[in-house]
Amino acid sequence: MSEAAVANPGAQSKSEVNFERLYRSSRDDVYAYAAGLLRDRAAAEDVTAAAFERAYRKRSRFDAKRGSARAWLFGIVRNAALDELRRRGRQAELSTDPVDAASVAAPDRDRHELRLLLDAALAKLEAGERELVALKFFAGLSNGEIADVVGISPSNVGTRLNRTMDKLREACDGSF
Amino acid sequence: MDRSSDQSNLATALAEARPTPREDFAEELDERVAAGFPRRPRASGTPLSGLADRLRGLSPQRLLFATGAGALAAIAVATVIVASQGPNSRPPTLNSHALQPDWRGVQFEPPAKDSSGGTAIHAPAGVAGAASGASESSGAQYGSALESAPTESPPAAAISGRAHRDIERSAEIGLLADPADVADDSAAVFNAVHDAHGIVLHSTTTSGKRAGADFDLLIPSARLGDALAAFSTIDEVGSRHEATEDITAPTVSVSEKLRDSRARIDGLLAQLSTAETETEMSAIEAELDRERHHASQLRSQLDKLEQRTEFSRVSVRIKTGTSSTDSGGSWGIDDAFGDAGHILGIAAGVTLIGLAVLGPLTLIALLAWLAQRTWVRAQRRRGLRDA
Repeated sequence: MSEAAVANPGAQSKSEVNFERLYRSSRDDVYAYAAGLLRDRAAAEDVTAAAFERAYRKRSRFDAKRGSARAWLFGIVRNAALDELRRRGRQAELSTDPVDAASVAAPDRDRHELRLLLDAALAKLEAGERELVALKFFAGLSNGEIADVVGISPSNVGTRLNRTMDKLREACDGSF
Repeated sequence: MDRSSDQSNLATALAEARPTPREDFAEELDERVAAGFPRRPRASGTPLSGLADRLRGLSPQRLLFATGAGALAAIAVATVIVASQGPNSRPPTLNSHALQPDWRGVQFEPPAKDSSGGTAIHAPAGVAGAASGASESSGAQYGSALESAPTESPPAAAISGRAHRDIERSAEIGLLADPADVADDSAAVFNAVHDAHGIVLHSTTTSGKRAGADFDLLIPSARLGDALAAFSTIDEVGSRHEATEDITAPTVSVSEKLRDSRARIDGLLAQLSTAETETEMSAIEAELDRERHHASQLRSQLDKLEQRTEFSRVSVRIKTGTSSTDSGGSWGIDDAFGDAGHILGIAAGVTLIGLAVLGPLTLIALLAWLAQRTWVRAQRRRGLRDA
């Protein structure tokens, strides 16, 4: 969704975000990012709900001059997720929904194995690298938006992402 | 397979691996968003934390506006309070009452002695008849008038087991008058003083554009209420202040010293009657003279203290040009500027004091906030690094 569509064009305030629209366009992305970073679905749900509530309460503080609404929202989500990480005392455990391999149909079995391989590779990444992957491929943010969220330059985002993708590919034993 | 193709496949796989929220969770969140995130009652929530939440939700502009409005309101309230104290404010002994009070019912403690000294008092009040001059001053010797009053040493029992307090009273009353009425009002003041058996210590009456009159009076404390009531009926009361001071302690102290001194004199007289040699008699007489002089000084101090309780100092000021009911008064642009300057001065003073208090507090709060923010950021970075 375009930024112009997300930002409310002056109903109450020139820069006040249209929260309803932002929520609808970002709910699943926010959850995906939180789950990708935290690797805990229950915690990701908590973080997603808390982040949206925090964003709702702070919506009048959004300033379009300082970045896009999505970058602003993901900044809030990131803080909530990092607070959650801090609370859990570095124990970010993977708790994805267990899948019985036998129940998976034969044509999908390869795909399922590939998924498991990818999950394992993601788990080996550092949290900072996993965060970049989550922002890029789970949340669908551009490099510029990621740069705003993480607080580094867009070119640095690109470099780190490339390096992270190489790591992932190596960790997947050449499956990609 | 080349690198870009690998990257593409990996990106596709990652997109497919994208976690999706449970339907139940998504529906619940949708409902909460639709309801505008209703606040849940907190078990341990305090009104202060609720207020903090609300403040956190405010935009910086609104927060700044609210803070500024609050500060302005505080300055305005403080200015009104300080201004209402007036320049003649006195410390704690001051009691203010509503304008146009009815003093007739006020009962002041009667003086310890009978005010038969009024015969010496009446004479100065009689100067009232001479108050019609363009500018006139008259004075009475406060000390001599009071000292001429009969003196009598208080009984020892009254000093040691004193049941009442010795209270000195004073009052100020400001009257607002038309310039043409100043002479009549002055005469009325003299008459009221005469009726109260009071003393005019000093009076000044001025006619013309800046007409006015000042009176410094001594009124028997027993008649103070009636006198003030009489003054307040002369013209519009613009201001009045009343003060009391407890002088029991110095009175008791001087009384006890006087009693001791008299006992010493009696002792010396007894010694003198039994003295046998000339040298011994001379020494005792010299000592007796000193003690009598000392007793006389103490007696004088005690008299003055007693006069302070018997008579109340009253200041009556008759002013013109500021009467609220005087539509043709001389209150003009100069007075308006003067009043405005006064109010602005008070407001500036209040602001300065407020800044002096709030400045350091704000700085400390700002530093604490920055430190907390830095700490939280560092903790978040560490959490991400260690995860």
